[in-house]
Amino acid sequence: MTIVSGKAEARRTLQSARSDVLRKMWEHRADYAYVLPAIAVMLIVIAYPIYYTIELSFFNTPPGLQLRDKIFVGFNNYGAILTSGVFWQVTFNTLIWTVASTFFSFALGFAAALALHRDFIGRGVLRAILIIPWVISAVAASYIWKWIYHSDFGIIGAVLVELGWASRPPNFIDSVSTVLPSLIVVNIWREFPFAMIMMTAGLQTVPEQLLRAAKVDGANAWQRFWHVTFPHLRNVSTVTILLLAVANFNSFIIPWIMTGGGPSNASHIWITHIYELAFGRQRWGVASAYSVLLFIILMTLGYFYVRALSGNERKDGGA
Amino acid sequence: MRRITVGGAVLRGAVSTALTISLMSASALAAPPVDLSKWSPEYVRSIAGTQDFDTAGDCAKVTPLDYKGRLTFWYQGVFEGDPDLLRQYYKDFFATFRKTYPNIQLEEQALTYNDLLDKFRTALLGNAAPMAVRLQILGGTEFASKGYLQPLKPEDVGYSTEDFWPGAMKAVTWDGVTYGIPTNNETMAFIWNADIFKRAGLDPNKPPATWDDVVKYSKQIHDKLGIAGYGLVARKNAGNTPYRFMPQLWAYGGGVFDEAKANPTYKEIELNSPQSKAALQASYDMYVRDKSVPVSALTNQQADNQPLFLAGQLGMMISHPSDYNVMLDLQKKATGADKDKAQTVIDNMRYGLIPTGPDGKRAVVFGGSNIHILKPEYVEGGKVDEPAAKAIICMWTSPEWSLKMAYAGSNPGNLNGFKTKWMKERLDSIKFLDVTTSMLPYGIPFPALPQSPEIMNIIIPDMLQNALTGAMTVDQAAEDAAKKVKDLMGGGL
Repeated sequence: MTIVSGKAEARRTLQSARSDVLRKMWEHRADYAYVLPAIAVMLIVIAYPIYYTIELSFFNTPPGLQLRDKIFVGFNNYGAILTSGVFWQVTFNTLIWTVASTFFSFALGFAAALALHRDFIGRGVLRAILIIPWVISAVAASYIWKWIYHSDFGIIGAVLVELGWASRPPNFIDSVSTVLPSLIVVNIWREFPFAMIMMTAGLQTVPEQLLRAAKVDGANAWQRFWHVTFPHLRNVSTVTILLLAVANFNSFIIPWIMTGGGPSNASHIWITHIYELAFGRQRWGVASAYSVLLFIILMTLGYFYVRALSGNERKDGGA
Repeated sequence: MRRITVGGAVLRGAVSTALTISLMSASALAAPPVDLSKWSPEYVRSIAGTQDFDTAGDCAKVTPLDYKGRLTFWYQGVFEGDPDLLRQYYKDFFATFRKTYPNIQLEEQALTYNDLLDKFRTALLGNAAPMAVRLQILGGTEFASKGYLQPLKPEDVGYSTEDFWPGAMKAVTWDGVTYGIPTNNETMAFIWNADIFKRAGLDPNKPPATWDDVVKYSKQIHDKLGIAGYGLVARKNAGNTPYRFMPQLWAYGGGVFDEAKANPTYKEIELNSPQSKAALQASYDMYVRDKSVPVSALTNQQADNQPLFLAGQLGMMISHPSDYNVMLDLQKKATGADKDKAQTVIDNMRYGLIPTGPDGKRAVVFGGSNIHILKPEYVEGGKVDEPAAKAIICMWTSPEWSLKMAYAGSNPGNLNGFKTKWMKERLDSIKFLDVTTSMLPYGIPFPALPQSPEIMNIIIPDMLQNALTGAMTVDQAAEDAAKKVKDLMGGGL
C-alpha cells in the first residue's frame, strides 16, 4: 500500500514538474520567439558545419579525387593523427603558445591596469597608447613584426649591430629554437591591452570604502591588494584568462603570416597546421579530425567559461 | 657593360639536346611556327618582328566581337616582385578586352601565385569557382584529374597545338585529354653582381660554372665581404622555392621522380638518391656550414632577395630578366646616397646561364601559366558563358598578348609571339632577355601529376627546412621527403 502510494506520489510530482516547465515556457513564449531567428541562423552556420566536419573526419580525401569521391576510413584519421610525430610537436607548440601567451598577456595587462588605476596627469593618453596594439589589424602587425625581426635586415638586428652588442643580427624567426618564443612576444604585445581593459573594469568595482577601512586598520599596500582588491577581481580574472586561452588556442594570423608554421614545423600550432592540411595539402579528412579534437578541447574550455560567468552572476545576484 | 655571349653555350652540351627533344613532342615536330631545333638567341632575333597579327580579327572568328555575355575570371596576376612595366600591360590587356568586346561583362579578380591555389580549391568545394581561370603551370593537372575542368585545346580558340611549347602542352594534358592552353612559359637565369665578384677576388665577368662553384663563390663572397653570397630561398608554400631548388636538384642528377628524363614515367622516387642528397648537401653547406646565404632564406621569398641585391648585400641569385626592371623601379624610389648605390648595383648586374651539376647537366624549371574553363556545375550560378570565356582566352593566348603579358619576365606561350614586332622591341629594351630565352631548351616541366603542387610547395621546402635548421641530417631529410612522396602517391592519409 505504501509502495503504491509512493509511486503515485512520484507520478504526481513528475506531472506537476512537467506542467510547471510547460507553464513557464508558455509564459516566456515571446522570449523564445525573439531568440528563434538567432537559433535558426546558428543551426545553419554553426551546427551544420560541425556535423559536416565530424562526418568528414571519417573519410580519406586523396589529392587526385574530388571531395565528393571521398573514401570512408572509419577512425583511421584519428589513429593517423595520434601516431604522427608532427601531431605531438604541434600539440606541444600549441600548449606552449597558449599557456605562455595567456599567462604573460594577463600578467602584463593586470600590471598595466594597476599602474593606470591611480589618477595622474596623462593617464588617459597612456591608456589610449597602450590599447593601440589591440586595435590595429593583426595582419598589419604581423608584417611589421616580420620586418622588425628580419634575420638579415631587421630593425632589432640593425640596432644591436650598430651599438656593437652583436656581431650579426640575431636569428629570431629562422631558427627552430627561437621562432616560437619570438612569435609569443608578438602575441603578448597584441593581447595584453585586452587584459588591461578587462582588469581596469574589474578594478573599478572594488569598493573604495573597503580599501580606506583597511588602510585605517593599518594594512600596507600589499595587504590591501591581496586581501581586498584581489578577491574582488577573482571572477573577472577567471573570465579574462579563459577568453585569452580560447583566443590563443584559436590563433592563426600571427604565426601564419610571419612564418607559415616554419621553419621545420617549429611554429606550427593546431590552427595553422589544420589550415595547411586542408587548404595546402587537401587532406580534408585529417584536417577535420584535427578540428573535431580541437572542438572538444575548446568546448571544455567553453564549459569552464560559462561556469565562471554563471558563478559571477550568482555572486552578483547574492550580493 | 659586357654583353654575355651565350649562344655558343646553348648549342653545346648533350643535355641541352636531350631536353630540347623532350620539349619537342612528336606532335610538335609536325609544323611548329618556329623551328625549335634551331633555338638560339641569334635565331630568336632573326624571327622577331617578321609577322603581323590581327588579334581582334582572329578572336572575332572564335567569338563575334558584338557578342553579349558575362564572364567571371580569376588569374594569377602581378605581385610585389614584378616590375611596373608588367603592371601596365595587365591594365592594358583588360582595357583592350573591354574595348574589343564591349558587350561582355567581365568580372576579373587577380590573385598572387601563393594565394591562388588555396582560394581556387576552396571555391571549387563550394561550387563557387569562376568560369575561367589562369593558373600556374603546376595547377593544371591537379584540377584536370579531379574533373573540374572542361576539355580545352588551342584549336578551340583558333590556334594550333603546334603553336605552343610541347613541354607546356604536357602540363595541360591529363589522361590524353587537353584541358587548357599555356599563356606564357619561362625559364629563369643566373644573376650576379660583377662589382661584388671583383671585390671578393672573383672574375667579375665569369659566373660560377657549376653548382659546386656556387657554393665556393658564395663562401668567398661572404668571407671576404661579410655579405650574403647566394640568394637561397627555402620558404614553404611559396612558388619561389621549387623554382630555385629544382634546377640544383636536377643538375646534380637527382629529382623527385625521373622528371628530368626525356620520357618520364614518374614511377621511381629519386628524392633520396645519392645525387638528390648531394644537391641538398650543397644547400646545407651554404646555409649551415658556410653561413654564406641570407639567414632569412627559410621565411623569405625572391621578393625579399631583390632589395638585398639592390642594396649590394647579395652576390648571386636566380631569377627572371624582369628583375633588372624591378631593380630600375626600386632604384627610382631610392633617395640620396641609396640612389647612387643602387645605380652601381644595376650597372654591375650580369645575367648568365644557370650553372651545371658535376656531370655537366644544366637544368631549369620550365614554368609558366595556363588558362582553363571550368565545368558549369562548379561555377557560381551553375552556368559557364563559353563564348565569353573563349574570347578572353583567345586574346590572352594570342601572339600579341601572350607576349605582352610576359613582356619583362617570361616568354610567350604562343610561339608566334616570338615573330611579333613587340618581341623585337623587347629584345632591344629588356636587357638580358636572350639569356633567359637561351635557358628554354634546358627547361624541365614539373611532374604532370595531381600531387605535384603538394610535392613542390610543401614536401620540397619541408625537406630543405628540415636539413637547414638541423631538425634532421641531410640524409634523414631526403629520406623523410622520399617517404612523404611515397605516401602521397599511395593515397595515404
